[in-house]
Amino acid sequence: MRYDPPFRHTAGFLPALGVLALLIVFPLVFTEAHARHLMILVFVYAIVAASWDLSLGYGGLVNFSHVALFVVGIYAYGILAKTLGVSPWLAIPAGGAIAVVIASVIALPILRLDGIYVILVTLAFSQLLYQIVISQSGVTGGVGGMVTLPGLAIGDYRFIRDNRIGYYYVALALLCASLACLYTIVKSGLGRAIVALRDNKYYAMARGVSEARTRLETLAASAFFAGIAGAFYASYIRVASPDAFGLGMLTLTLSMLLAGGIGTLWGPVAGAFAITLLSEAIADYGSWRTIVIAAIIIAALIFYPGGFWAAIQELREFFDQARTTTLARWRRVVGRAARERMLGAKETMIATRFGAVAVADAGGAGAPILFIHGNSACKEAFVHQFEALARDHRVIAFDLPGHGVSDNMDPEAAYNVPAYAEIAEAVLAKLGVASPAVFGWSLGGYVALELAARGNVAVAALAIAGTPPLNVVPDDFAAGYDPDSHLVLAGKRYFSPREARDFAGAATAPLSPGSAHMHKTFGRTDGRARFFMISQIGVTDWPRQMRMLREGKIPFAILNGSDDPFLNHDYFRKLAYGAIWTGAPHDIPGGKHAPFFNKPELFNEALRAFLREAASGRLARADDSAATRPAPHPASPREDAGRGEETAP
Amino acid sequence: MTSETFLAVCLGGVVLGALYALMATGLAVVWTTLGIFNFAHGAFIVLGAYVAWQVGNANADGAGFLAGAGACVVCLFLVGVLFHWLLVKPFERKPNVVLLSVVTTLAGASILEGLTNLVWGPRSKQLDPIAAGDAQWGGLVMSRNELLMIALSVAILAAVGAFLRYSSVGRSMRAVAQNREAAQLLGLDVARLYALAFGLSASLAGIAGLFIGSIRFMTPTMGAEPLMKALIVVIFGGVARFTSPIYAAFVVGAVEAFSSYYVGLYWTPAVLFALMIVVLMIKPEGLFGKHERSV
Repeated sequence: MRYDPPFRHTAGFLPALGVLALLIVFPLVFTEAHARHLMILVFVYAIVAASWDLSLGYGGLVNFSHVALFVVGIYAYGILAKTLGVSPWLAIPAGGAIAVVIASVIALPILRLDGIYVILVTLAFSQLLYQIVISQSGVTGGVGGMVTLPGLAIGDYRFIRDNRIGYYYVALALLCASLACLYTIVKSGLGRAIVALRDNKYYAMARGVSEARTRLETLAASAFFAGIAGAFYASYIRVASPDAFGLGMLTLTLSMLLAGGIGTLWGPVAGAFAITLLSEAIADYGSWRTIVIAAIIIAALIFYPGGFWAAIQELREFFDQARTTTLARWRRVVGRAARERMLGAKETMIATRFGAVAVADAGGAGAPILFIHGNSACKEAFVHQFEALARDHRVIAFDLPGHGVSDNMDPEAAYNVPAYAEIAEAVLAKLGVASPAVFGWSLGGYVALELAARGNVAVAALAIAGTPPLNVVPDDFAAGYDPDSHLVLAGKRYFSPREARDFAGAATAPLSPGSAHMHKTFGRTDGRARFFMISQIGVTDWPRQMRMLREGKIPFAILNGSDDPFLNHDYFRKLAYGAIWTGAPHDIPGGKHAPFFNKPELFNEALRAFLREAASGRLARADDSAATRPAPHPASPREDAGRGEETAP
Repeated sequence: MTSETFLAVCLGGVVLGALYALMATGLAVVWTTLGIFNFAHGAFIVLGAYVAWQVGNANADGAGFLAGAGACVVCLFLVGVLFHWLLVKPFERKPNVVLLSVVTTLAGASILEGLTNLVWGPRSKQLDPIAAGDAQWGGLVMSRNELLMIALSVAILAAVGAFLRYSSVGRSMRAVAQNREAAQLLGLDVARLYALAFGLSASLAGIAGLFIGSIRFMTPTMGAEPLMKALIVVIFGGVARFTSPIYAAFVVGAVEAFSSYYVGLYWTPAVLFALMIVVLMIKPEGLFGKHERSV
């Protein structure tokens, strides 16, 4: 189960395209050789840093021979192109291939080593390579290195001419190709194996990821790009010098990685850009240059361990907050009349402990029923229920925090199921509703279950849709849901427009005039609400909900869509229920994840039938109506942790 | 090979061994106590040599050898404590402290190297030898300076060993090295003991620098080589006991001396690094080690 759209469908596509366009235009605007020279250096360093990140950031494998492999590329080019007379165009890929061979040799002893020993062995190897290079002065020129290497040329046109414009575009092309390959690797099975081994080695190995093989492939892949970068660099500066083996070059490249942010693809590129320009700006200050670079590394590690990438993410969160908050405030005023017309109910703001929520209350003297909407949706999801039920019921719905026109709230405190249930309690108290029927959809279903299990509100009848009740989290998550790629979006912080459309389409209905309002809402939802809801899944007392269902003191119904793409319908049938309408989960034929929205007539009919039967008192297992209120349980998740006893034999 | 040559090579190996023992013991004290490798050890060695030169040498302040050595030890101790406070302590509780401290100490080494370059300039300098002239037994000639160096190294190492073994502070340091939490529960001031270990290590590095400066020319960038040698020694010998890196230092010194004679000067470092890789692959805890880290 993963959501892995091609790059052109992700939120990063347009910014990347913009930067690429700028880089293509750059040499046409800045025509002097020095500016282009700097950018060529940036590109080379970016390739080295980004490919190093594959093993260091993604793999957590601190390969200190990476820079040495860059130098291997330089010397491979020197020997091939100058000594052996191979065409420079062939010598560049050959440099990458030779680096791969050497990296494989280096990888062999560290396949099964850990931590500091990896650092030491790779460092020893890079020193060994250095010693070999300076001792073979017949081939490598020894300490003096090799000079006047052949440069790149096509026919008689040498790329250094016209202020290096040829080299500029070759370097840019190499960078793009390297990043595209690295991106593909990171997104591939190999990339996930690399990250899995870093995050939980033994679990990954138990799932069949071979540590030795993955390491070998990681190091070989990252070495290839370092070798290519080295060979290209040699063709550009036309000198091969052993100086780059030293700790200075290692520290410089490392500073790019750390300043940019490790474990990301774009961070090292940004780091290469910033550090190269900084290093150039202070080049005239001699020793101060190394001091400043080193101080940046230390400061970044102490004060900003995530680097530029983290800063960009914070900036993004800031703008997303500003956007969603403004949208909510704006729509609270502007679309209000339309919404009230749509639902036929007054919209009021109710202040709670966490913030203000928008509530629609159709009023009337009928038995009250509270609707709780799902992830990223809004109270208008129940438009067809307001239409159909308002005659006999007092229909109430509210926007969850961070959804619809409710406030964005403190993510740590407000964006989790118990807080949502507390807000529902506050809304009911404010409206003076004592014992409502409650219908919860998807995430709202968990809120409804939690509301009933908390026992602060006497729930008269409880119905859910698209909500597999959970006992053990996260194991039951895997059992209760069907792997659908769009389901992963439920916990994703930022949606690209396409993702908002996909998720809204899968969760409610494909875009149509009828569902346009829902689609508009999905883009407004506070991304942190999704993220924190999933990441704080453990704060809910799940076994308490399951106990409540098993005891069956509250009339209960499950009204899933029969074609719900997210659910494992068998899971619902296996659970043990104390009292459930029709004796089993009732499927709405043809309904999707939001059956009340796709198949309103069938759904409303079923819901009415359930409410009638619940009101007659035949459904609950309890002895008398006073006992429909479940005894409050101590909030101890451990008490009922015995897994499997809920499933019927 | 005549017996004189053989003896001369042996003596060369012993001189190297004494130097390496000082450098490696310093590195091992930090590695065993804090569980990290200090990549600024080479820069400490360089700084020690320059401080001793500045204070002690006749063509600088000229306060004499002993004053130079004293200044070197005190100054390096303070630098070591400062390094611990700035570069290691902020990351102590992070899960990847080993990697982070490698990076920060590398950066710290760059800063020290840059500062040394700024203060003393890139031109090479030499410390006045501790003692002039040669000592002679039979056919064997050896400079008094080197002889004194060996004796002093052995004496200093013995003193440090005794400090760690018998003094209460030294025993506390070993306790922290063996089990940080238990030591903390017993009321030991872990932060201070860590700083002390770093300072002690830096002081040993400073003395090693002082000796190197008296037999070779020194430049601000010469730190990488002794750092690598100390690394080789520590990995070769392991750190199971205080004496493990010392034995290993003399073995490595001998290997280097003989390999320089037989294989040639250029190939010697390659031989040593190959040896280090083999040891890491076959017995990562070192030749004299069992699978533990403690002084």
